[in-house]
Amino acid sequence: MLAYTLKRLGGILITLLLLSFFTFMLSRVVPGGPWMQGAEIPMSDQQVAAFKEKYGLDEPPWKQYLLWLRNAAKLDFGRTFTEPERTVTELIRDTLPFSALVGGLAATLAITFGVTLGVIAAAHQDTWTDNIATSYAVIIGTIPSFVLGFVMKYFLAAELRWFPAGSWGDPSNWRDVAWHLILPVVAFGLPATGSVARWTRQCVAEAMSSDYVRTAKAKGLRNTAVMTKHVLRNALIPMITSFLPLYPGMMTGSLFIEKVFGLPGLGKYFVYASTNRDYPLVLGITMFWAILIGLTYFLTDVLYGVIDPRVRITERQQ
Amino acid sequence: MSDETTTPQPQSAALANDTMINHALKNEPSLAAEELFTVEGHSEETQYASFWVGAWRRFRRNRLAMFGLVFATIIILIAIFVPMLTPYEYDQIDMPAALQPPSHEHILGTDELGRDLLTRILYGSRPMLMVGVLTGLAGLCIGVPIGVLAGYLGGFFDWIVTRLIDMFSALPWYLIVLYLVMVLSPSLQNLMLAMIITGWVGSCRMMRGLTFSIREQDYIEAARALGIPTWRIIAFHILPQAAPLLLWGFAAGIPTSVFAEAGLSFLGMGIRPPRPSWGQMLADSEFYWQFWPHMFIFPSMMITTSVLAFQGIADGLRKALDVSENI
Repeated sequence: MLAYTLKRLGGILITLLLLSFFTFMLSRVVPGGPWMQGAEIPMSDQQVAAFKEKYGLDEPPWKQYLLWLRNAAKLDFGRTFTEPERTVTELIRDTLPFSALVGGLAATLAITFGVTLGVIAAAHQDTWTDNIATSYAVIIGTIPSFVLGFVMKYFLAAELRWFPAGSWGDPSNWRDVAWHLILPVVAFGLPATGSVARWTRQCVAEAMSSDYVRTAKAKGLRNTAVMTKHVLRNALIPMITSFLPLYPGMMTGSLFIEKVFGLPGLGKYFVYASTNRDYPLVLGITMFWAILIGLTYFLTDVLYGVIDPRVRITERQQ
Repeated sequence: MSDETTTPQPQSAALANDTMINHALKNEPSLAAEELFTVEGHSEETQYASFWVGAWRRFRRNRLAMFGLVFATIIILIAIFVPMLTPYEYDQIDMPAALQPPSHEHILGTDELGRDLLTRILYGSRPMLMVGVLTGLAGLCIGVPIGVLAGYLGGFFDWIVTRLIDMFSALPWYLIVLYLVMVLSPSLQNLMLAMIITGWVGSCRMMRGLTFSIREQDYIEAARALGIPTWRIIAFHILPQAAPLLLWGFAAGIPTSVFAEAGLSFLGMGIRPPRPSWGQMLADSEFYWQFWPHMFIFPSMMITTSVLAFQGIADGLRKALDVSENI
């Protein structure tokens, strides 16, 4: 188990190194930079030179990369181009909670609702309940969150005036924040219920058609006992491994919904940094997400090994 | 929804590959017929004239898939013939007519610059199809050869390809695409380039896995023993088996690409104005949506319907070709 864990960790580290190398080099090798992007007053050559010197851009790229890597190992991603008074790390720390809250709540909503729907559909296979649930999952899954956000904003906020149409509300008052969060979280979480429900239905249906379930039924176990003790426990393993990464995935994906509702999260800054070619900020956020996602996959893998002994056995055989 | 979804999906990856190959073997052309008879997995379905005829019959029974096919055909025709369909230009500014609700002259109304919304929506089908369909095709052209070679040759080349696949899978695709578009500077061409750079990974991974498992089959060993050259084994024994899987993989990538084009244009990282895209039109309504809802409702409908249509085609193909989803 230890060898397996170390092997996974090593693989993730190699991937992160490669990713950081390619993204860094790409930003340095491709011509152009923040000083060229639609500035109203173009910088003079001296200004560009001074700017490059300030951020160490006049060094050869490999030297810059090594320096960046050494700092990044300490989670220091340098200073941003657009807001020099803040470091990238500070900016991530300040804005991450917003994205984490929206993404985390949306992922929770998607998983609770999607799993419920998927289990119901699988338990009533090929009935009209199943048909409705599956059709719902297909259709809701194809609506992009930013489209649903706009539609909900128009009907529920502007027309009916049930909810606020955007912004974060008063951060010191959690009720106000929660009130402002409802629309973004629902608009972001609802489309994700589609894929969750479909995957749950498939996992549960697969478990239901296996031999041990037939045995359990033949033994005369009641339906609920079969479902909870045999079907769900076995279906849970593939489900956990695909739903745990949903959390960092939805946190990164919140950039679309943040734009719709004007939320001051990390996604908004990522888009802002991208449009302004703020390389340190974009690199920092990208690597931060990659580390977070890598850690989640690592945790999932380890968890999988703990829950499912079959993984360990096949690993040993290989 | 359909009977295929209820068939038990095999649990382990190895099993999944086995059944997939059996399905793939059914449509193997007569070339490798002798070897085929020894492989189990033939079912009653072979009564069809051919695998593809049977697949088409199954596809036709799927209502959502047929809706998708009809919608896709219409939208492709619109994208080709749009200059003949509308009396307006997509960048024809008419300030006195700005922000009109739907009327007889402007069927879907006008935007904040008085441009005809219907014209802009019809023109918006072009970037959607270019990113949605063309980048997928280009991704296949890169991903399939690399995947087959990595799976067939193994060794160091396979190691490098695996590292690359891992690297591209370390982040959600939209972050990588956003990053690439930023470095290359935003435009439709660069968005397409970024989608191709990230898009080859899926088909490459699929082909690598498939080739890996086919390579171990007896009839490939037999072919190798007969002295058949590697390129012939790949072209006549491996690629035909991958055809259903690849067709489905291509179709399944389209909804994501349509979403990508709309989403990145929405974030201002896609197509450049004045050329219209549905996602960009949605972002343009930022200050007007409350009082002129037609400005966001029609682009929203187009984005959602296209994604649904292409998703319907992909789902229909998956069931018709009977490819397993978890490969």
